[in-house]
Amino acid sequence: MKNSILIVLITTSFTLFAQSELLIPQNAVTVFSINNLNLLQKISMDELVKYDFMEEVHQELFDGSTSEKTLKDAGIDFNQRLNVFYGKNDNYELSGFTFGVKNSMSLFEVFDDFTEIYSKYSGVKQYGSFFNNLIIKDNTALLIRIEPSTESIDAQTDSIWYARGNEYPFGWGLEEFDEEIFDEELFDESDSTNYENEEFTVEEEEENNTLNDDYPEANEDPNEKNYFELRDSVQLELQQALLAELLDDLFIKNNNLLKNDPRFAEQLTHPCEGTFYLDNSRSFEQANGLWYFQTVMPSLYRDIKELYTGNIILGDLILKDKSIDFLVEARYGEKLGSVYQEMNDSKFDKNIAKYIHKGSSAYFTYNVNMRKAYEKAYEVVMPILSSEKNADLAMNVLALELLNELVNKDALFNTYKGSMFGTFNGIKKIKTKKIDFYYDEETFEYGERETDAVEDMPIFTLGFSIERDDIPEIILKNLSRLTSKFEKHDNYWVFQNAILDAAPLYMINKNDLFIFTNDEDLAINHSDGYGADQLPKKISRQIKKNGFMNGYLDISGALNRFPSDLLDERRSEMINSLKGKSGKMYLKSTKTTSKSTNFIMNYEFRGEENSGEHLLDLINTLYIFSK
Amino acid sequence: MKKLILFSTLLLVLLSSCIELIDDLTIHNDGSGTFKYILNLSASKIKVNSILALDSIDGKKVPSLNEISEKLNNFALHLKTQPGITNVSMIIKEDDLIVKFSCDFASINDLHNALKAAILYINNGKEIKELNQNWLSWDGKILKRNIPLLSLTISEELKETELDLLKTGSYTSINHFDRPIDHAEKIETKLNPSKTASMLKVNTFDLQNNYSLIENTIYLTPIKNK
Repeated sequence: MKNSILIVLITTSFTLFAQSELLIPQNAVTVFSINNLNLLQKISMDELVKYDFMEEVHQELFDGSTSEKTLKDAGIDFNQRLNVFYGKNDNYELSGFTFGVKNSMSLFEVFDDFTEIYSKYSGVKQYGSFFNNLIIKDNTALLIRIEPSTESIDAQTDSIWYARGNEYPFGWGLEEFDEEIFDEELFDESDSTNYENEEFTVEEEEENNTLNDDYPEANEDPNEKNYFELRDSVQLELQQALLAELLDDLFIKNNNLLKNDPRFAEQLTHPCEGTFYLDNSRSFEQANGLWYFQTVMPSLYRDIKELYTGNIILGDLILKDKSIDFLVEARYGEKLGSVYQEMNDSKFDKNIAKYIHKGSSAYFTYNVNMRKAYEKAYEVVMPILSSEKNADLAMNVLALELLNELVNKDALFNTYKGSMFGTFNGIKKIKTKKIDFYYDEETFEYGERETDAVEDMPIFTLGFSIERDDIPEIILKNLSRLTSKFEKHDNYWVFQNAILDAAPLYMINKNDLFIFTNDEDLAINHSDGYGADQLPKKISRQIKKNGFMNGYLDISGALNRFPSDLLDERRSEMINSLKGKSGKMYLKSTKTTSKSTNFIMNYEFRGEENSGEHLLDLINTLYIFSK
Repeated sequence: MKKLILFSTLLLVLLSSCIELIDDLTIHNDGSGTFKYILNLSASKIKVNSILALDSIDGKKVPSLNEISEKLNNFALHLKTQPGITNVSMIIKEDDLIVKFSCDFASINDLHNALKAAILYINNGKEIKELNQNWLSWDGKILKRNIPLLSLTISEELKETELDLLKTGSYTSINHFDRPIDHAEKIETKLNPSKTASMLKVNTFDLQNNYSLIENTIYLTPIKNK
């Protein structure tokens, strides 16, 4: 028996010892862990580095020495997890990944720019390449980059700079301004005359501009650093100090995310291909915009922070033969949970199904009860705000309390109840107006006339549940008095040239819904819904059973036809990462409790594509979302 | 500025599925005349406005409509100061995406030099080699003309799919004279009944592939002595 226990212990210790996740720093806020690396063996390094989530470590992999190599050639141990992590606090930003090492010789054929540096940690080898650091302990590796914050670098640099007796390093801005000298020096007429007589080349001009720029000049003594040289040194020193602190934490104090956050540790025990971890409560703490609260209203900051305690998003990625399931659990603290619970306590508005076409390429529904959410949020947040002894905040509290008493909440929340839906019905030709130039056949003189035109446009519909349909009517009626662009028709309103100064926007105010759409067909022919072509009842019933959020996306039908040049760069990247795939994506949420809400995303794909690539595409999409 | 010109030209080419360009040159017997140029993007309003709403496209900054208008107005203002140029007009209809430019000139040389100077001015004095091309000549009897070749360099960078977009755009070149035209080199040239005006219309896709399509020489009848 004793022997058996010993064998189990040895095996367990060995397994734990070999865990790449033991090297994830405890300050990591976001972690993607891929459990089944075998899926990725066939993916070449060149393909891998094209993914956005690899950008943090791409310098090494982009150097050309890795071309035509696959992950399999990189000496990586595919029996260990690959963990990609990111973290940020007031002082630094860290990113990197941890993985298992099977063959360090092969590994250094890929990471061939790294040189070994001294390591004070027993059994740990340390390598460096520019700002990247590779740390290997036994058969696990940590590739990490740590960047001190600009504020901390500047603060340290300034401190040293002025302590050395230096003046303000940027030009003459703080020097006493002597108008007389300024006039004499800069507007000397004899000098101006000289310039006129000389040929003043572009190169000379650029040289002069450089001298006038606000950069400190090089010091006469080469051993004495100018401001920017000093700043570079400070940055390097801080990087090294921060890395040393992080490595001490990992290898001396034996702290890591797995050990310090049982939620992360528990997540890793799930039998799935990948896991996702995002600690929102720490994201909140590290949000740059909150420094004002932290310094001016510390107690308010503390109370709001408390609201976010326990706010974490955990996800499992399950790869099946021809589908990928992504199960997400959003956990939160009791107070915030009570607001979410009230907000999501809303039934699916069955009128919505009438306006979603059964052939829609993509749609979402979102059922929330804004009235209940407001009441609960008021109950939770107002005591926090009221307890703060701050004049500005006291005035805001007064305004909020007065609004709460004076505003007709019934009218407000019956106008905007909170439930909504959206659809994307592909690209359609829509009618616009254009100017035609026509010619007189006698003279070839030309005139202008307005004619009809057609242009391609993505067709969107966005609708909101409403009980007070008279309120939008009041607004629209008065807007139509202001401009002739608002027109009332029997079943809808139209706002001419509302979209991109070219296309009309239709508004349907019927059946307890207020709908915006650029779909002329919906407005003119289906203002009461699509009838037999509406969302099938089976799906409606399913949506009704689910939680507050539902979504559907036919990738080949929607993304491949989506004009990504109409989106900003980041969203366009996300769309492009999924383009060319064929499959369907379903999203649903479960009932919200005061502790958590679960989301289930199912991605079914067709064709012969490599499932590993699908997984990476999905991870990439999530990464872009969470960036 | 060159970036703005290049971007604007690229934008025009990308959107040329519905682009309409008209140049209208009137030359009197004494060599003076009027030059009009019209750019009509009203049939591509959705696409143009959606692109103008972006910060950048293919890594190039997208100028705002105001920036484009400002540059065009600066161009017109500078043109007004050029010798031999009068009655300069620049009308920018932002709602319809139409630009209408016109000016009177004392001679073809004045027009040529003035346009070159104004383009150089808004390009901050930086040379654009395509401007050295002599696209217009007139000796009192024969008018030789083409269109500026600035966009030739850009067309080389266009992708196959983008070139496809040009297929329904048009470029119309019109010339008016005080006396009848004897004949035009391009047989596709259309003459009005009194033969005092000519019109040559080409497809922008074909023009992109072959700039000589719009190249024309127009021979006038001799001036009748009174």
